[in-house]
Amino acid sequence: MLIRFTCNGRPVQIEADPQTRVLDLLRDELGLTGTKEGCGRGECGACTILLDGVAVNSCLLLAGKIEGREIVTIEGIAGEDGALHPIQEAFLDVGAVQCGFCTPGMIMSTKALLDEKPAPEVEEVEEALSGNLCRCTGYGKIVEAALEASRRLVQESDQGGESG
Amino acid sequence: MNVIGKAVRKVDGPNLVSGRAKFSGDYRFPRMAYGAVKRAGVPAGRITSVDVEPAREMPGVLDVLTAKDIPGPNIIGVLPPFDQPLLAADEIRYAGESVVLVIAESAEIARRAANAVSVSIEPYEPILTVEEALAPNARKIHESGNVTCSRKLIKGEVEPAFARADVIVEGTYETSFQEHAYLEPETVCAVPGHRTTLYASCQSPFHIRGHVAANMNVPASSVRVVQANTGGSFGGKDDVATEIGALACIAAQRLDRPVMIAHERKESIVGSNLRHASRIRIKTGATNDGRIVARKIDVMLDGGAYASESPFVTMKTMIHAAGPYKIDNVEVKSTAVYTNKTYCGAFRGFGVPQVTFASESQIDELADKLKIDRLEIRRINGLRAGDANATGQVYEESVGLQETIKRIAEQPARPEQADSDRYLYGTGYACVIQGISNGAEGVDVIGASVQMSQDGSVLVGIGLTELGQGSRTVWAQIAAEVLGVNMESVSVRLVDTDAVHDSGPTVASRSTTVGGMAVLKAATEVKASLLSMAALMMQTEAENIELRDGFAVLKMDDSARIPTPQVATAAYWTGFPLMNLAFSKAPDANFDEETHQGTIYIAYNYGTHRMDLRVDTLTGDVEVLNHVAAHDVGKVINPLGLEGQVEGASLIGYGYAHMERIRYADGIIQNANFADYAIPSIKDRIPTVSIPVEDPNPTGPYGAKGVGEPPVAAAAAVFANAIADALDVRFTKLPITREDILDAIKRGNYD
Repeated sequence: MLIRFTCNGRPVQIEADPQTRVLDLLRDELGLTGTKEGCGRGECGACTILLDGVAVNSCLLLAGKIEGREIVTIEGIAGEDGALHPIQEAFLDVGAVQCGFCTPGMIMSTKALLDEKPAPEVEEVEEALSGNLCRCTGYGKIVEAALEASRRLVQESDQGGESG
Repeated sequence: MNVIGKAVRKVDGPNLVSGRAKFSGDYRFPRMAYGAVKRAGVPAGRITSVDVEPAREMPGVLDVLTAKDIPGPNIIGVLPPFDQPLLAADEIRYAGESVVLVIAESAEIARRAANAVSVSIEPYEPILTVEEALAPNARKIHESGNVTCSRKLIKGEVEPAFARADVIVEGTYETSFQEHAYLEPETVCAVPGHRTTLYASCQSPFHIRGHVAANMNVPASSVRVVQANTGGSFGGKDDVATEIGALACIAAQRLDRPVMIAHERKESIVGSNLRHASRIRIKTGATNDGRIVARKIDVMLDGGAYASESPFVTMKTMIHAAGPYKIDNVEVKSTAVYTNKTYCGAFRGFGVPQVTFASESQIDELADKLKIDRLEIRRINGLRAGDANATGQVYEESVGLQETIKRIAEQPARPEQADSDRYLYGTGYACVIQGISNGAEGVDVIGASVQMSQDGSVLVGIGLTELGQGSRTVWAQIAAEVLGVNMESVSVRLVDTDAVHDSGPTVASRSTTVGGMAVLKAATEVKASLLSMAALMMQTEAENIELRDGFAVLKMDDSARIPTPQVATAAYWTGFPLMNLAFSKAPDANFDEETHQGTIYIAYNYGTHRMDLRVDTLTGDVEVLNHVAAHDVGKVINPLGLEGQVEGASLIGYGYAHMERIRYADGIIQNANFADYAIPSIKDRIPTVSIPVEDPNPTGPYGAKGVGEPPVAAAAAVFANAIADALDVRFTKLPITREDILDAIKRGNYD
């Protein structure tokens, strides 16, 4: 069937079996390989994307379900000039990236959280990222990155508010 | 120093956070086909027939291979005895064993077709324990028998020393298998041609190249291995990357199409190596003043179906079993045994976590028996510069153990808690020693190149792999420091066997220490060339000039400076070399094969951990309140990277000690997924604080030595000791799960 949706701000129309996993649709049909497959069962979070702003495992999401909806992947969060998103910058600055395989999913879950709750408590960060596994970092720096990104985004929007 | 010791971002970080970094599974080539294997499904037996026709008949299936289709010897392995087939020809030695490879137009078709293959196996009674393997009339899993290897370390004479001891403690300790659980399952992609190119998620590309070429029956020069970005390895992507790499290359050449083989998570657990399970007996004798006079240790490792790294893990457990202590009489026997289970090999720590748990548990028991403080007994016996360690080796420098103990002793005491009728509180200590470099495990040579372009940018090439540990960043820092440029000017090549020098395997915490030395040497040669050029330009001697901040600067008057790109451009046109390939060779190990007395490693990392925790007596839940990890790292190169290594390794150790247990039933792994084999999530993290101790190591760059592995062992051991302190019950088996703790509480009437 023809599936129409928005991906990273652009309209997409694609002929696909509605039973196709969105993970495969993104990686194989759209070439968006930044979204990773770690387990294929919704247990690791490496394939996390945003569906209408909510973090979901794209390995459990079927193409038939995204008709008319909005998807954002790791490739879609940098600024238009290619500048990294403040969450991406924060992950780099605090050392929250080691092998990097879980990182796109971690960043997407963080984005879903901060879009919803700009200044979360530590427990809220833990809750939001509890579906994303990482075997390298021990998570401490990932929590730190999420909180640092929150501070930067809040500061940015405060400054934006003043100038506007 | 301008760059060394400063917190810097990972050089490969921007690609990783933006999704642009290509991992093996991200490669796409025209006409790419996909492979999947049929696994044995039973732990032991003999193949009587294989019917591949149901697979061949499925639409989309391109090729089906069995053992007879392997052009070469159909054997891989990390070390002699090479004993592992790519595809089983006759005997089945573990349930995850690959028997048939199917290549199809899609991964899904390949999997369905592989399932359709029918393999008839006449089952044998599987040998599932070390005791069964060593029984007098046990069936031989390999022709050589069921003992993979056995070694002894003998220092002094233990028996007379035990006779002199005032107290003796004895115990037996056991540890379970552990799965690496890197987030990226093993994946390779082979592209055929006059020479075959393999893009692989792997740890040691040159090793893979050799084995792939041998099994293709072509010279090594006919194979090129490119390490893709690798989503974690921790020792786990050697054997298995060789296995699927060789299969993909063979299939790609047969079909003349690119072939990708990507493991599913279940395969990553059942079909690739685990950490050895162990049973360790220790006897320790000491005098009343707390001095340990003798230790006798017997280490038994369950290595599963194939040798893999068992020969070296055996050696490493043996060398480290007595711990970081000055003991005049030590006897260790370490033996690895074959069983019909998933093979065991390298995993971060490499045998040291097993023996450290056993040894450090017993040190606490000894302290309690002598009524000596648990940290004090470690201080009394802990190695100092000038002491002979278990192999009789004496280091005159960089033995920072006592300083790590001191730093831990300075930590504030655990606050008294008011709610202690429901909760039990405990504090544990553990020390660790971990050899740096290949040491007794082989010759240790690394080749690194450093080159500067005319624009002043720097490119580093080295045959060791970045697996997430931050080595590329460390090498870039060393090159930037020597050449006086900023980090943004430095790039590090991907490891491509066509483009960098063979540097041996990326193992043994050797990347910073031995690898860093090679980069330092190569960069220093390039620097000499630049200084010579600048001296000509400034009409002075090279010794009067230094490179810093992107300039060649006259030392006596730093307003006299030439931008480094101008110097590099002039050097290029003058014919001064701007590239250098340098080798760093660690001194060869030199020891007696019978006693293992001699010089083994170029350095050791020493560490002391403390952990405070709280146990909920109603639920068995454990909350880690405080975890401090002090390690003697010689010199911190990148504080961010160091903290990341210590924190990450510690959580792997904590998972090992508290959460992770591979569950076998009749030789079949029952929990091959992340729901049933639970690794720590963000909610399980522990509040690790890293305290670096810098006791400079003369054999490492700027005094540095590796730290990637040792926190695993210390964190696991300290957890066990903290639990024992809280419950006043010593568990002798890892993991100590919440259920185990609750059972112990129920038995012990803790209310």
